Amino acid sequence: MDVKFNNRGPVYLQIIRSFKEKIAVGELKPGEEIPSRRELANQMKVNPNTAQRAYKEMEEQGLIFTEKNHPSKITTDEKLLGQVREELIMEAVDTFVTSVRSINVPVDELLHLVKEKYTGHDEEEA
Amino acid sequence: MIEVRAVEKKYGRKQILKGISFSANKGEITCLIGINGVGKTTILNAIMGLTPINKGEILIDGQRLKEKMFDNITFIPDAITMLPGMTIGQAMEFMADFYSSWNQERATELLEFFRLNDTNRISSLSKGNAAKVNLLLGLALDVDYVLMDEPFSGIDMFSREEIAKVFTSHLIENRGVIITTHEVGDIEHLIDKVVLMDDGMVTKEFNAEDAREQEGKSVIDVMREVYQR
Repeated sequence: MDVKFNNRGPVYLQIIRSFKEKIAVGELKPGEEIPSRRELANQMKVNPNTAQRAYKEMEEQGLIFTEKNHPSKITTDEKLLGQVREELIMEAVDTFVTSVRSINVPVDELLHLVKEKYTGHDEEEA
Repeated sequence: MIEVRAVEKKYGRKQILKGISFSANKGEITCLIGINGVGKTTILNAIMGLTPINKGEILIDGQRLKEKMFDNITFIPDAITMLPGMTIGQAMEFMADFYSSWNQERATELLEFFRLNDTNRISSLSKGNAAKVNLLLGLALDVDYVLMDEPFSGIDMFSREEIAKVFTSHLIENRGVIITTHEVGDIEHLIDKVVLMDDGMVTKEFNAEDAREQEGKSVIDVMREVYQR
C-alpha cells in the first residue's frame, strides 16, 4: 500500500481515506482480511499509534470488524460499502462544483466539457 | 515516562541548558528538534547521568536515576563506541557480557533486518552500516526507554529508509523513544511528539498529529513559525 501523505492533514484520516478508495473501486472486497496494525504502519511508514487510531475509527464507523484473535476484516454490510462509494463521489463532485461555480460556466457547456475530458482521459489510459 | 524538569547546565561559564522541561511517554516516539548547539545531546547525556546538571531534576517513571535503572534505559550515541578491531559478532558478545537485558534473539533479527554480516570488522564498515550496527547494539537490549542521538545524520537515503522502518516495527513498539534530529522531513509521520528547542530552552512541545488535525499544519510548518520569528 503506497500512499502519498499530505503533511498538513491528519495521517489517520488519510489512512481511512485510502481504505475507502480501495473499497469503492473494489480492490478491497467485503469480508477481506486487512493487514494488522503493525503491518500497516510498516507498509505505510507511519507511526503504529496512528495506524491504531485509524483502525479504531474505522471500527467505530463499522467499515472494519475484528473477531477475537483474528485479523481485522472489511465489513460485509453491502449497504455501508455502497455508502462509502457514494460518499467519495459526492465529495469529489462537491469540490468540483464549488470551484467551477466561481467561474460562472453555463451548465450545458460544463457538462459537455466534463464528458469530453472524462472519456478522453479513459482513452488515454487505455 | 521520562520527565525533565527545569534542568540547567553550564559548561564552565557557558550556560547550555537554561531551564529545560519536557516529558516523553512510554509507547511514544518523542523527537527533540533544534539546530546544532542548542543542547540536544547534553539533555540525553543528562538523562543518562553522563553529565551532572546544575539545577532541576530528571525523573524516570517517577524516580531519580539510579544505577539499577540502566537495565531499563539505553543510550545510542551518534557514533559507534565499540573498538574498531572487533567484528560485529564480537561486539554483540561484548554487549551480552555487560548487559543482563541483552536479547540475543532480537539481535539476530536486527542483524537480518539490516542485512549485516556478523564476521565484518567494525573498522571496515561504511558509515551507514556502522550506524545500523550502532542501532542494533542499542535496540537489542530489552529496555523500556531508548535514547538516540541523531540516528539519521550523514546517512544515505536508502539506509535512512531502512532505519525509519525500524521505528514502525515491533522492535520499537511499546517502548519510550527519544530521538534528536535537526532534519525532520522524512520522519514526520513516524513521530508522536515534537519538542522544539532553541538556545537551551523548549520553545514548543506538541503532538504531531494534533497539529495536523487541529491546525492543518505539518511539523515543518510549526517549526517555521517558531524559528522564523
